[in-house]
Amino acid sequence: MPEWSVIDNSFDKCLKCNACTVICPVSGVSLDFGGPKHLGPEYKRLTDNQITVNEPSIELCTLCGTCDRSCPEGVHVSLLTAYGKAVHAEKSGTTLRDLTLSRAELVGKLASAFAPVTNKVMKIKPARKLMEWTMHIPAERQFPEYKYNHFKKKYKKKEATTERKVAFFSGCYTTYNAPHVGEAFIKVMEYNGIEVALPEQKCCGVPMFANGQMKQGLKNASSNTNSLLLYVNEGYDIVTTCSSCASSLKKDYPAFLQTEEAVKVSKNIYGSEEYLRKLYEEGELNMSLASLDEKAGYFSPCHMKGQGVGTPAIDVLELIPDYKVEDMDAGCCGQCGTFGFKKEKYPLSMRIGNGMRQTIAESTKDYIVTECGMCKNQLNQLAVEKVKHPIEIIKKSYESVLEKDRL
Amino acid sequence: MREKFETEVVIIGGGMTGTGLLRDLALRGIKTILVEQFDLGHGTSTRNHGLLHSGGRYAVKDKEAAIECYRENIILKKTVPGSIEHTGGLFVKIPEDPDDYVHKWVNMCNETGIPVEKISLEEAFMQEPYLNKRAEAVYRVPDASVDPFTMLTDVAADALNRGAGLLTYHTVSRIETKNAEVSYVVARDRYTGVEKEIHAPVIVNASGPWGAYIAKLAQIPLKVINNKGMLTVLNHRINKQVINRLRMPGDADIFVPAHDVTIFGTTGRNVEKPDDTSLEREEFKQMVEDGKALIPNLSNIRSIRAFSGSRPLFEEEGEKDLSGRNVTRGMALLDHEKREGLKGFITITGGKLTTFRYMAEKTADLICEKLGLHQGCLTQEIAVPPRQSKEFLKHPSLPALAKKKLCSWAGINNSQIHSNLEEDNRVVCECEQVTWAEIQLYINQSNHFNLEDLRRRTRLGMGPCQGSYCYHRTAALAVEKEGVSGEEAAEALTDGMDKRKKGMNVVAHGATDRQLKMMEGVTAVSLGIKKGGKAHV
Repeated sequence: MPEWSVIDNSFDKCLKCNACTVICPVSGVSLDFGGPKHLGPEYKRLTDNQITVNEPSIELCTLCGTCDRSCPEGVHVSLLTAYGKAVHAEKSGTTLRDLTLSRAELVGKLASAFAPVTNKVMKIKPARKLMEWTMHIPAERQFPEYKYNHFKKKYKKKEATTERKVAFFSGCYTTYNAPHVGEAFIKVMEYNGIEVALPEQKCCGVPMFANGQMKQGLKNASSNTNSLLLYVNEGYDIVTTCSSCASSLKKDYPAFLQTEEAVKVSKNIYGSEEYLRKLYEEGELNMSLASLDEKAGYFSPCHMKGQGVGTPAIDVLELIPDYKVEDMDAGCCGQCGTFGFKKEKYPLSMRIGNGMRQTIAESTKDYIVTECGMCKNQLNQLAVEKVKHPIEIIKKSYESVLEKDRL
Repeated sequence: MREKFETEVVIIGGGMTGTGLLRDLALRGIKTILVEQFDLGHGTSTRNHGLLHSGGRYAVKDKEAAIECYRENIILKKTVPGSIEHTGGLFVKIPEDPDDYVHKWVNMCNETGIPVEKISLEEAFMQEPYLNKRAEAVYRVPDASVDPFTMLTDVAADALNRGAGLLTYHTVSRIETKNAEVSYVVARDRYTGVEKEIHAPVIVNASGPWGAYIAKLAQIPLKVINNKGMLTVLNHRINKQVINRLRMPGDADIFVPAHDVTIFGTTGRNVEKPDDTSLEREEFKQMVEDGKALIPNLSNIRSIRAFSGSRPLFEEEGEKDLSGRNVTRGMALLDHEKREGLKGFITITGGKLTTFRYMAEKTADLICEKLGLHQGCLTQEIAVPPRQSKEFLKHPSLPALAKKKLCSWAGINNSQIHSNLEEDNRVVCECEQVTWAEIQLYINQSNHFNLEDLRRRTRLGMGPCQGSYCYHRTAALAVEKEGVSGEEAAEALTDGMDKRKKGMNVVAHGATDRQLKMMEGVTAVSLGIKKGGKAHV
């Protein structure tokens, strides 16, 4: 018997319509994957109170969660596929590579501590060949760069004193790979008179759940819940610049932990642009945004789509005078977090990304905006060099106003 | 011109008792033909809980039936292994039920030799998370879950292998007697209308709820009370073990795990007609209300469908001398030669699914006596072939859940299924993970294309979607690959969908209501079949 259990009967509602299978990025390019309906609700229904069944093809689920959004009946499809992943990991064991990839935070800490070396090594071909042989991490796969001066080193504020207070969940990518995104967010909040605290936090757990490390994932989830709850109780809003962290804090925590605390925290989670949109709707957003004569394409990450909150990035960017942003509607990028770093999944990752590559490559935008660091990784490798986080653009617009004031 | 057949015994009724008798006689080397009006198990035998009683349920009420059940429970686990899952069963005492029954029950179980073990509430709740937390005592007994569909199929197949004859979809229109002795029966093919004349010195009426009707064909008055019970199929398997309420047997107090679902019931209402399988929504609602005593969350658990069947209870007329052999209160073996003076006519009725083998044994003993033969019964020793086929685990391309199904299903057909899979390995029924390979096998074994027959043999369409998708998939594939005519497939589709809808309608609220609408949508929009219209496959 596993040490964790998933009690979720939402599969009772499944009408077998297969809407989730149709929308699934993996099912769209591979017949080897049983699809979310089969490996989520169907799998749970056919194993509940019976012997556990190990279905290896569950490895092909990227846990992107778009299935959840497609379900007309509100079945927690991705929670159920995460359960299947955990069963598979428990039955078949976990490779050193998958274990390593699932510990994004630890990898981030180590890689950024030796950042100049790490980044170079990751670009040396023989080193990558060696990694491919030993770890089954494809040599062709680009890696994001790690920053020695990571975000947590630079930002240590634990408390906010303004009326509106934000607790920032920075997430591993912003912390170790893109501290400038975190800094941009702090700045934008500053322009809005909001102080930002950085609570104690661990990796949100997304890479763990995706690699079947349910036990460790739940540990992180409850640790983060406890830490964030203190802030929620003090009236803070929890904001993150990462769409995957947001998706996990909002959807996975209450579903996996099934505690009142997790539910309470989940109701106070916002993506950075979602939060700005909320400020705008409540008439509190600082509207002194300078005109930006730029043309951007928006790439929507699956973990953003799966939250079912629309496209807050577009909603907010459109507030910038003269700024043009268009939803590229380019599907799934195919990186899918740790998925795209695995040798045996690499061809599939490329196949999924092919649609995106074509759409983006044909476009005439100045650059692409997306909230997700992993999508950025794949966009960089397959389609386009210039990829920005929307919060960087907002920051630029605010800053331009100041510059104009100075002139 | 009628085709004429000669045999030693004709059995009327292809339920579990008749089929069991067919095999028993085959093992004794007695030539037998069974005539069934529809598919095997059309009546009560596939319309029950699928519970292999330990005897616990009858320990207080009917000691003899309890002893019989326990003895047969052990024999069937050994002789029909592929159809039985050794789930074990729990008897649960809740505060609403009388305390003194518990002591009486434990004593009677001890007296009858039914092994009973008291388990801690903590253990019971851990094993059965849905169980009422107000339970006061829980006992474990050797109840088991039995699949009546596979049991019927396997027992019949074994009988046929041993030379028995079987006519399904043949209705008995006449029983001819001559000089106070049975002569022959006339059986008419429901599909073609062609009649067959089957001559035999012994005719056994094993037609369950149709018992009185068949007896009447031989001018024998017989009173059978048809006591209709309703059952419902829960969307998933909510329990690992059989869960019984520890009290005098009543309505809605048994939950039986059956493969991937739980069967819950039942009720009891006397009905006039043997084929009355009507379903009342009020009855269903009351049943769910009563069932909450054991499973408090019951009304939040989806029901896929409901079904009903009648228990044929034999009632002796007045205080007339018991010339028949009323073996126990549960089963009735009636020798109509002794009772009414009609030589060669026997009725076997009553009883339970669990005791079918014993009923067959007693009936076959009587037949031997009539025929002056001395062969003894072999069914307590010789097993039907098993269903387990672990080699499917190694199949390279099947989904793990389809493998799991085949591993406990394929049995003697495993090499044929293997070769069918090589040609086409698609899963047709997703809810129950039924492969085209299995369906193909049974299409080839049957003279007529009938989706409901396929369902009984493969579990096709037994899941939550109730054939919304897989019935028309199967119909289309049958036309495309098996040479079934479009007309035949269309008829099977319309008939099959109607039967599925009937069972869904009565439980249709929440998800099942939406499933029904989805099914109607698929039928009308995607397949272009108007309400009440005919399908074109």
